[in-house]
Amino acid sequence: MAQLIKVRPTKIELVKLKRRLKLSQRVQKIVKDRLSILTMEFLQAARETVSAKKHTIDAMNEAYKAMTIANGFHGYVALQKELVASEADITVTAGPRSVAGVRLPSLELNEPSGGLRGYNLTQTSSLVDSASDTAREALRAIMELAELQRGLELLGGEISRTKRITNALEYILIPSLQATIRFLSMKFEERDREEKSRLKRVKVLLARKKV
Amino acid sequence: MLPPTVSDDTQSRYERFLEAYLSGELRLVNSGLARERRSLAALLREKHPSVPCSDGSSQVLKRAELQFLAGMLDESEQEALLLPILIEVAGDEHEATVLCTSDVELKVLSQVLGMPVEYERPGRVRIYRPQLGLLRKSLRSSTQYAFSARTGG
Repeated sequence: MAQLIKVRPTKIELVKLKRRLKLSQRVQKIVKDRLSILTMEFLQAARETVSAKKHTIDAMNEAYKAMTIANGFHGYVALQKELVASEADITVTAGPRSVAGVRLPSLELNEPSGGLRGYNLTQTSSLVDSASDTAREALRAIMELAELQRGLELLGGEISRTKRITNALEYILIPSLQATIRFLSMKFEERDREEKSRLKRVKVLLARKKV
Repeated sequence: MLPPTVSDDTQSRYERFLEAYLSGELRLVNSGLARERRSLAALLREKHPSVPCSDGSSQVLKRAELQFLAGMLDESEQEALLLPILIEVAGDEHEATVLCTSDVELKVLSQVLGMPVEYERPGRVRIYRPQLGLLRKSLRSSTQYAFSARTGG
């Protein structure tokens, strides 16, 4: 049974309660919409995370395989000598993106300008190019997975918070407002009926007095 | 029998929490909306494409998505397409409305969804949940949700 809110039984309080009920129902509608959108995004992110994880593992496997073959062909020392010169910082464009009021990370690996590889193309074979390409692909996959996984965590947290709020509105606030409004309306009707019967009684008494 | 009344202490705690929430929640849901939409052409020219949001932050748009959009539009259409594309959610669990300021959005929608789409009302295209998922999957950073309290339709 819904609990009554303790208020003074006046018409002004009744008007206030009705206004609050309207606001609560409006917020409940928006919160429910938000919850359904967040759930949809969460499920989509979960599906994408699974495929991104698989893609990352495959890309890493490919990268290690290509690197091992290149290593075997050129020899460890020779390959190290070539690759040390090509070392460059990885730059990532990171920023927030908003999904239904939740700020999720957005990560994007910046491609090197001009498509230069940094090592001597005449001294190395196509196996090194292949290793470089697969390593970059693996990096891209890691970035994608990191973005999705963090997004998934944030969306999950927000869903549980929104669910609590929806339940509070649905099972506590709105029923208690409705019960209090019903109780006050009944009280006012009862008061009106009492007033009417009192007036009738007074009328009868006055009529008797006249007679 | 009358229902039990809430004690003053419990009531005030609930009241304070819920009142604060109610006023905060409406602000929160649309807090990340873009304050200003920018054309695709302008965003492509930027080093780090982003749009300012109403809460003072900014939404970063992915270059890969911008290039995907640029691939399906000519130059004049790239100038006309304003990003992020807004998806209005208004009380219906099964559908949403894409707000279109020009026919370019309609073209983008048709290409992304792989089917012809039409205006339901001027400037509004209705899409359903599976289509919404598809749209969000392709344009994750260049679409945004806008929540509205009015009834859908």
